[in-house]
Amino acid sequence: MTTRAAFLEDIRREMAKTRGLFEASTSPRPAAPQEAAEAVRRQMLERWPQALERFREEFERVAGVFHRVPSLEAVPALIGEIARARQARRILSWSPEALGVDLGARLGGEGFVVTSAQDADPREGERGRHREEAAAAEIGVTGADWALGETGTLILVSGRGRPRSTSLLPATHVAVFGAPQLLESLEQVGIMLEALHADPSGTMSGAVINFITGPSRTADIELTLTRGVHGPKDVHAVFVEGR
Amino acid sequence: MSETSLGAPFAARARGALKDAYLQEALGIATTKFIGLRRESFEDFPQGDALRDRARAIKEATLQQLDRHLERLADNIERLGGRVHWAATGDEARDIILRLCRDKGVRMAVKSKSMATEEIELNEALEHAGVKPVETDLGEYIIQLAHEKPSHIIAPAIHKTKGQVADLFSKELGGRFEADPEVLTKVARAELRQKFLEADMGITGANFAVAETGTVVLVTNEGNGRMVTSLPRIHVAVMGMEKVIPSMTDLMVFLAILARSATGQKLSSYTTLVRGPRQPGEMEGPEEFHLILMDNGRTRQIAGTLREALYCLRCGACLNVCPVYRQIGGHAYGHTYPGPIGILLTAMLKGAPSVKELAHASSLCGACKDVCPVRIDIPRMLVELREHLDTEKIAPWTERLLFGMARRMMMRPSWFRGGASVARLAQKPFARDGRLRALPLFFGKWTATRDLPAVAEKTFSEWWQELRRP
Repeated sequence: MTTRAAFLEDIRREMAKTRGLFEASTSPRPAAPQEAAEAVRRQMLERWPQALERFREEFERVAGVFHRVPSLEAVPALIGEIARARQARRILSWSPEALGVDLGARLGGEGFVVTSAQDADPREGERGRHREEAAAAEIGVTGADWALGETGTLILVSGRGRPRSTSLLPATHVAVFGAPQLLESLEQVGIMLEALHADPSGTMSGAVINFITGPSRTADIELTLTRGVHGPKDVHAVFVEGR
Repeated sequence: MSETSLGAPFAARARGALKDAYLQEALGIATTKFIGLRRESFEDFPQGDALRDRARAIKEATLQQLDRHLERLADNIERLGGRVHWAATGDEARDIILRLCRDKGVRMAVKSKSMATEEIELNEALEHAGVKPVETDLGEYIIQLAHEKPSHIIAPAIHKTKGQVADLFSKELGGRFEADPEVLTKVARAELRQKFLEADMGITGANFAVAETGTVVLVTNEGNGRMVTSLPRIHVAVMGMEKVIPSMTDLMVFLAILARSATGQKLSSYTTLVRGPRQPGEMEGPEEFHLILMDNGRTRQIAGTLREALYCLRCGACLNVCPVYRQIGGHAYGHTYPGPIGILLTAMLKGAPSVKELAHASSLCGACKDVCPVRIDIPRMLVELREHLDTEKIAPWTERLLFGMARRMMMRPSWFRGGASVARLAQKPFARDGRLRALPLFFGKWTATRDLPAVAEKTFSEWWQELRRP
């Protein structure tokens, strides 16, 4: 078996032989990522309405369904509506803390089966049960760490109380976010991700970050666009005002 | 046309493809559609050109310090609880995966689309070892059920009709399915959902790996990449070591141009960033994460003529615009990687002799270089490859003899003039209206498919001399 040392030694030997390479540099990274991220947040305090308009346009272009509600209070009712329209009963959600609202408390009484993730470390046997519930759920409700205007993309960081499959296994995904999550460009996303990784103790407890741009899709049979091949067929973005 | 040893296997495959009426139609529709989508997506993206220059510079800069970036990547992944394996060859990469399967009692592995695992023919090896590999990208799934090979880097099953897919599903899965992409997709969803939940191992490639953060990046549209990295208890990612990039800032540059180049989307439906196994407190995700860094012929091109091919993002844009690919499709190339870049990658992985025919399957029109998101100079490398095949005496002796004679003639004005006179005489029986439409012997290979202009009555220098005479 090749060792790390031997593998790298081969590479170094060949690198030493190269001649006349053109001068090239990687992208300049923010020297102080946290401050750079703070600067982006300050910019967006003023610019979020334009970013939201662009997000809506791009999100709808990729077949997303956009909603705008006046407050977090209005979110459970909207989710109930979305579920009823699909004749869905089983709702899976991020933890009330991660989502900002307790769906179970509001929708449980209306004939829905709501399962919310917990912020505590999973106990023995809990993983298997969660998996069965996730596989059976029809609606998955998550937050979004960022919503990117340029491409209509929802960006979700996994972690405690934020399982990665909530936005994947159910046929309908609903993501809830507010003005502080709005970004304009991929470049800004880069700055946020640099900051996130420079200080992973912040929100980053999990192993996965997903960029979600519309529903799951394929064109593998005769280039016919078909939605919902493995992931959700419908994706909803709910913008909550005044957050 | 007679079959000769001069390029027969490739020529025969290409002829077969040219005679396949459905393939011809499907290729025409698919490649034209991809070209249009790509063009539109760059038209309203003024910063696209600058980003492509940036992306190219990042790839080059990374190669110039490849050892350091790989060390950084490996350290970070290990810090997160993942394991990094170093595979000098494809055989070694396969053995690492087979050993993992054996040690961990793996019976079924779900796979998301990965050219790296195609490159090492992993599925055959897994089957042989009693592990069931299940391709989960819809196109790859169709190909696997049909026991075929992918024909396009990003649309593996473009050569199949919906009718063929319906028949295939009906036969393999039991049932009668309508020839409707919507219905067939639903069938595959149900079938594969079960496999995702049952599988012990998920195998992926990697579009990028970010050294500074230890992140493997997967770009997909169907969501199967997410399934494969979320549900099975072990995740194995296999990648060519040149896929490493330094930072998240760099990643954004590539994301901005990759999907646009491949499918004309601004971003694919899913871009998944994975760092190591499930982290403390997480409800889901694999217990184990393994990254296999594979060389398999890449390192010797760091200082070789194919260096630039190490920039390749595998977007497939160069296939769609290539006049040769558009005619013959992916299978005729006969290797894992088709199209113009595929010729170079095949030479890289399997050595120059493996492409002694394919090196000529290009008109050198340069369309590939124009659309490449990292501006790889494919035509230049193809010419260098042809030169190498000649100087190393890999090209057939007939070809070398003919071109050697031509070269000698071109270098001596008197020989050239003499040659022109001989040709003028020799062509007499065959020339009609200034064209040669049918020639005897091996010259007939040219005229079987196109005319040759006849040698003119006077050479340019003769004409020039006359003109200058007072």
